[in-house]
Amino acid sequence: MKHQKDVEWSKLDNASKIFPATWNPKDPKVFRFSCELYAVIVPDILQKALEITVSNFPLYKSVLKRGIFWYYLESSDIRPEVQIESTPVCAPIYVGLKSNLLFRVSYFKRRINLEVFHVLSDGAGAIRFMRSLVYYYLTLLHPEEFSGKILENDASSISEQMDDSYKKHYVRGKTYRRMVKEEKIQTKVNAYKIRGIRTAENRMTLIEGSMSVQSVLNEAHKYNTTLTVFISSLFIYSIYKAMPSRGSDKPVVLTVPVNLRQFFKSVTSRNFFSTVNVGYKFEQDDDLQLVIQSVGESFKKYLTVEQLNYQLCKFISFERNPFARVVPLPVKDFILRLAAKSYARYATSNISNVGKIVMPSEFSCHIREFSVCTSVRKPQITLCSFNDKMVISITSPFKEMEIQRTFFQMLAAMDIQIEISSNL
Amino acid sequence: MKYCNACNVRVRGTYERCVLCGNTLSALDDSADQEEIFPVVPPYYESRLAMRIMIFISLAAIITSFAVRMIFPTSVNWPIFVLFGIISSWLSMVVILRKGRNIPKVIIWQVTIVPVLAVFWDWQTGWRGWALDYLIPALYLAAEVVMYVTAKIMKLSIRDYIIYAFFDGLFGIIPILFILLHWVIHSTHQSSVLPSALFFIGHFHIPG
Repeated sequence: MKHQKDVEWSKLDNASKIFPATWNPKDPKVFRFSCELYAVIVPDILQKALEITVSNFPLYKSVLKRGIFWYYLESSDIRPEVQIESTPVCAPIYVGLKSNLLFRVSYFKRRINLEVFHVLSDGAGAIRFMRSLVYYYLTLLHPEEFSGKILENDASSISEQMDDSYKKHYVRGKTYRRMVKEEKIQTKVNAYKIRGIRTAENRMTLIEGSMSVQSVLNEAHKYNTTLTVFISSLFIYSIYKAMPSRGSDKPVVLTVPVNLRQFFKSVTSRNFFSTVNVGYKFEQDDDLQLVIQSVGESFKKYLTVEQLNYQLCKFISFERNPFARVVPLPVKDFILRLAAKSYARYATSNISNVGKIVMPSEFSCHIREFSVCTSVRKPQITLCSFNDKMVISITSPFKEMEIQRTFFQMLAAMDIQIEISSNL
Repeated sequence: MKYCNACNVRVRGTYERCVLCGNTLSALDDSADQEEIFPVVPPYYESRLAMRIMIFISLAAIITSFAVRMIFPTSVNWPIFVLFGIISSWLSMVVILRKGRNIPKVIIWQVTIVPVLAVFWDWQTGWRGWALDYLIPALYLAAEVVMYVTAKIMKLSIRDYIIYAFFDGLFGIIPILFILLHWVIHSTHQSSVLPSALFFIGHFHIPG
């Protein structure tokens, strides 16, 4: 009798559990990091760089499998291959039961794209993979120039990368119980819902605006606020401007994913984020100043360790619920889909600031910009920066351009130079 | 690079009109950045076209058969068979299309749907007993063989299809119930035992 090879497998982390359940062709739960270089990409070298990178991130060799009760990740020996970009932006990666890798690396002219199914990792986790990929690509391409350069803060052990940080960091205590009570008395309001005409084949329209970080920061400082609050408010305001009058009695609410690595000590490559909702209910003639003030206050209120821990406990309690554990997977999927749908009522859109992407300074002369975007069900905004270049991407499943136009026109009106690129 | 005077933004790529507002772009001095940043991905219309043609043929066949019977009346209501025949094939096809990547799963779905359809057909055509006596045991028998062969050919590990093999075995026991409950009409009901027997034999072999 042959012996079966031992298979390494791991449970999904807490946040990942939602993605295989709520995945569908309209929203494949895929996000994309792009790195645009000044020179045209050499595929063979990118392939080599990918192989080295994957060997450092064993998580990325996983495939997603269905068990009777839960989904789980299983390590595979599939060899990832770089391809010339030939699919729409953020096209589905996980398509049911075919066991394929949960990420895709493609290139087109001067760009390297990394697309990841959200089960594998969140933005902050995938950025480490992306940095490593670009790092190895450039060092392999220019061996004489970059011999001995090391990618900083990349020294975490592989077991730390594979951590399920949700389990490690949640604390259930008095404050949690108090907050549960508080939440019960709060009434939740349905948020304004953006409607539009869907594009053919559920493709995403992507508008990227690239600009100087400093010039945007200067504007934000004029309002005495931070960059994230400033961009969020501007986006809320653009949605309001594009809103038909009959929708205007509802607040515009943005869901903001929060990278929990900065609040709880963790270097995991997997998902470790929570979300907060910030919103604004418009009265007539409200201007940007008022929105910024209100959004800034909400950020301050919700971005506390206490509040985030509360969220964490709520997520974990679903997973630990004995009833939830014994029902078979199809039933779980169904319940999760319903829950996700009912939560979606409370948010209009989503803003995700991935933050600064740091590369060794010697690489700056080769890298033009980094950008990030995601598959969406309604127009959403994502941003990241590299050196002084910030790229704000608005992805939308709709043909309408009103929100995008208002948003970038408002920024341009502040004398910020913007370069637009698009997949239209 | 080009410039949009309405939006006050530079636009990269080969566009003639602004992607935000649709106005005509004016050229800037520098000729750089005139190449496209994203590839043009052609649409996948073909699969939809095939689907449309099949739906058209199905509907046309149903309507024609009913119309023909109205013009040339017969005692047997044969257009109903056309209708159910087409529904049956669509059901089977939908399962294959949706679960097609996982063959053991398709087998399980098929052996769930086909018996229901077979019993329905048998009942509609005067209950001659062929569904319970022959078709269902034969089907389960075939399913077990196909499952085993598929697993061997695709080099599936038992972990990949254990749930399906389990259900397959469970179904294999059903024909014995037909005998116990005296549902079989013909005397050659021994065939009903075969799937269960094969399952129990196979059971010891599969882990290899």
